[in-house]
Amino acid sequence: MTVQDSSQTDTGAAAAHEAVSHKKTKPVLSEGKKAERRLGLWLCAPAFIVMIAVTGYPILYSVWLSLQRYDLRFPAQQEFVGLDNYIAVLTNSYWWTAFGTTMFLTVVSVAIEFVLGMTLALIMHRTLVGRGLIRTVALIPYGIVTVVAAFSWYYAWTPKYGYLANALADGSAPLTEQWPSLFIIIGAEVWKTTPFMALLLMAGLALVPDDLLKAASMDGANAWQRFTKVMLPVMKPAILVALLFRTLDAFRIFDNIFVLTSGAQDTGSVSMQTYDNLVKGLNLGIGSTMAVLIFITVALIAFIFIKVFGTAAPGSDTGGKR
Amino acid sequence: MVMGTVTTGRKLRWGLVDILVLVFALVPVLWVVSLSFKTKDTITDGSFIPQSWTWQNYADIFETSEFIRALVNSIGIALISTVIAVVLGTMAAYAIARLDFPGKQLLVGLSLLIAMFPQVSLVTPLFNIERNLNLFDTWPGLILPYITFALPLSIYTLSAFFREIPWELEKAAKMDGATPAQAFRRVIAPLAAPGVFTTAILVFIFCWNDFLFAISLTSTTASRTVPAALSFFTGSSQFEDPTGQVCAAAVVITIPIILFVLFFQRRIVAGLTSGAVKG
Amino acid sequence: MGKRSGAGERGRSPGRTAALLGAGALVTGLLAGCGSGGGLKINVYYAPEDSFQKVVDNCNKAAAGRYEIVYNKLQRGADDQRLQMARRLAAGDTAMDVLGLDVTWVSEFAEAGWVEEWKDQNKAQATDGVLAGPLETATYNGKLYAATKNTNIQLLWYDDRITPTPPKTWDEMIQQAQNLKAQGKPSNIVFTGAQYEGLVVFYNTLVESLGGHILSDDGKSVVMDDGAVKALALLKQITTSGITDPSLTNSKEDDVRQTFQRGDAAFELNWPFVYASYAKEKPQEVSHFKWAVYPEAQAGMPAKTTIGGYDLGVSSLSQHKPEAFEAALCLRSAENQKFSAINDGVPPTIESVYHNDTPVDPGKAAGADNPNMAIKYPMRDTILDALKDAAVRPLTPAYQNASTVMSKILSPPADIDPQATAAKLREQLGDALQSKGVIP
Repeated sequence: MTVQDSSQTDTGAAAAHEAVSHKKTKPVLSEGKKAERRLGLWLCAPAFIVMIAVTGYPILYSVWLSLQRYDLRFPAQQEFVGLDNYIAVLTNSYWWTAFGTTMFLTVVSVAIEFVLGMTLALIMHRTLVGRGLIRTVALIPYGIVTVVAAFSWYYAWTPKYGYLANALADGSAPLTEQWPSLFIIIGAEVWKTTPFMALLLMAGLALVPDDLLKAASMDGANAWQRFTKVMLPVMKPAILVALLFRTLDAFRIFDNIFVLTSGAQDTGSVSMQTYDNLVKGLNLGIGSTMAVLIFITVALIAFIFIKVFGTAAPGSDTGGKR
Repeated sequence: MVMGTVTTGRKLRWGLVDILVLVFALVPVLWVVSLSFKTKDTITDGSFIPQSWTWQNYADIFETSEFIRALVNSIGIALISTVIAVVLGTMAAYAIARLDFPGKQLLVGLSLLIAMFPQVSLVTPLFNIERNLNLFDTWPGLILPYITFALPLSIYTLSAFFREIPWELEKAAKMDGATPAQAFRRVIAPLAAPGVFTTAILVFIFCWNDFLFAISLTSTTASRTVPAALSFFTGSSQFEDPTGQVCAAAVVITIPIILFVLFFQRRIVAGLTSGAVKG
Repeated sequence: MGKRSGAGERGRSPGRTAALLGAGALVTGLLAGCGSGGGLKINVYYAPEDSFQKVVDNCNKAAAGRYEIVYNKLQRGADDQRLQMARRLAAGDTAMDVLGLDVTWVSEFAEAGWVEEWKDQNKAQATDGVLAGPLETATYNGKLYAATKNTNIQLLWYDDRITPTPPKTWDEMIQQAQNLKAQGKPSNIVFTGAQYEGLVVFYNTLVESLGGHILSDDGKSVVMDDGAVKALALLKQITTSGITDPSLTNSKEDDVRQTFQRGDAAFELNWPFVYASYAKEKPQEVSHFKWAVYPEAQAGMPAKTTIGGYDLGVSSLSQHKPEAFEAALCLRSAENQKFSAINDGVPPTIESVYHNDTPVDPGKAAGADNPNMAIKYPMRDTILDALKDAAVRPLTPAYQNASTVMSKILSPPADIDPQATAAKLREQLGDALQSKGVIP
């Protein structure tokens, strides 16, 4: 298996390296260390075997497809075109408009979700009244099927159909103008996924030891200082996970836009364009290229996050508080 | 919790805050419920409370056994996927967070890569693989992708938890004569409970509401889950959206989620307050 | 059984051989018939239509055990149906036999080699009595690739309390709408203006009604002639005269129906499904709900309205083609088209069905609970008139690409600049037809 093979050569290489650099002190790994390595690899193996077995071929195939000119309807005309698809997509103004829109939606919605999520997490964690009720109810928006929630917003915001549109001035149709509809889309996204943030942040809040907070308050720290100097640092790993995964998902927004505006008035996202090329155009070459470009963008975002959060990334230090 | 006494004033303030949260979370949900009770001719009348009520939408979705079949599929597939994903994720996260072994960074990066790659372009190759392995339109055919795409988040969340658990506890347990497995079960697991239950909730919701794989990797009621089944509802013609029925179905399928969350949310903070950290 | 002619020195007599062969053939035939009758399944993949299962049951009865038609429902959305079928056909799936194709997919599936050509007897039966417009949608490069199942054509709908006489031309309609607006009455003209196929259908109707062309007849190159440019100007005029709904750029068929039914519009351009809904939801006012053919874009030239509908094709990967052809022919026979028309509201493609007044239950008299074509389709004559001047959307395998590009460039219609928009369309449609370039 791929995982085992690489690990075995790694073990060998690492052992050799250690043998060389620690020639004088530790020529060979201790039994405990070896056992730890074995245990580590065995524990990880099932998860990674499943992940690689399911996605290994599809991901490689997608990348390979992005280098081909391949229309599903004309399999005989398939040919290798190198980076032509990438050039075609990256010089296409529709792509960049969608890219800009997606970036805007991602940044704004994640920022709002973080603030609201943190607030909600604090409430869910600390409320004195009806804690169980609040925790359950707050998660319901996240539990509703996205398409149905999108439809309910569509109905709510279309003039005459719904209560929100009817609260606006007569004759205005927010879903038919670019900026109002972008904000409605953000609103729909925020409502739906703030609970996701809140849940992860709340679990992170649960890690903050009470004694630390007690000690801080006895040292004269007020609520805000306790929050920023005690809670936030301890929550860093949880915050990283919440922001990272939420951003990755936010960049791939599709359902809400599809239902609310069908992408009209330049509100389409890169995922919608990928869908159009891949599904409507049955153009596997261009569609896969767009998928790879989305992946690269998202990878860059992840890279930035992990660099900013430093040691909060999983496995980045020698294993927890040793 | 931290300071001060619990006065009625504070309770009242929290009560108000709670109401705000309830309004924020529930008003759009109540709108969906309202749409599910409206009759066809009033569905676009714009009023929040239905002017004419009907149970017809709910009756319609249960008219054939298709929706019930879909519910059974959803429950089974989501539960199995959640259990397996959480178990595998816990094992891997523990290893990544607390053990030192070669290739750790590579594995973490790999799982992130899988979380990042747009799923829409993976669907067709996955479809081809499953067709060739006769997994198309079966439960395992959906369970495997669900586990795969739930694992990255599981591993990241759980390792964030395992990381924060102090080593002294494990050392103390070992000194008391416990084997690594016992140390894990008695000491670590309860402290990791918040992370485990949080992950379980998130994975379950992901599997329950997934649409892309459900629609592409199934073709009959043998394995079609509820979100996919929604797109098979018919209006009275190809142009009419069966909004009432779709909303009714959405209300029905949100109930298991509410139950699941209700059951699990208490355990999210139970671990740390059990006193293991004190002293 | 066999003739015992002279035994002869040759051992077995020719008669006995013949008898053995005959018996053998008979047994094989019986076995084949028995075996397949129990197991031969013809898989039909079709959109979800409430009463289609009944049609399938009827055809199973007619098949008398030789095969069993299994109705596999596809998703409600047309794009999703196409994707499911295309993905499986491209993967070489042999389990699909009869495919429900929207009229715009036939050229695409034919060019990709995914559907069989209809020849000889099958072709004769599939084309017998079929209206010219729908038949054109099932043809590609002069060959027949599908049997028409149902068609669809848009009409002009109005309320005779607001507009006693319907307008005959677009100019007249815009004028009437503006007058009504000045009087404070419902005045809007509502049609499908969202950024999707519906907008392309609307534009195509305007182009054809002005005698223009978007693509060449063989679908291989872009034309965008004067008629097409004039249609752009007309589209802009309609949407900038103050008589369209504020939600125009987000309106699809059902939104348009709702708006008119609620009383917020004077003129509706939509498919006939709106009548059945109106009759069901506002039965006391349905007598005022009237229809007419599409208004003329140019006085004196009858409007050519875009048609929709579904055709049934036979998969080229099917393992049971003869039975598949037979099943398809039965599913869209005149009798079953009438059934579908009355129960599911889909207009037939065979002309004789329009004049057939036998109710669903021939034994009883026609009535609300035993409807016939006259009751369910009071507008059938208008539909027939409109179908005589039908327009089809450009018949090209790259139609989906072209349509996506067009709906993007034409949206929002109020921002159209006829010359500039035409230039954009020429350039981007050219790429789309080659399957080159990136679609929006």
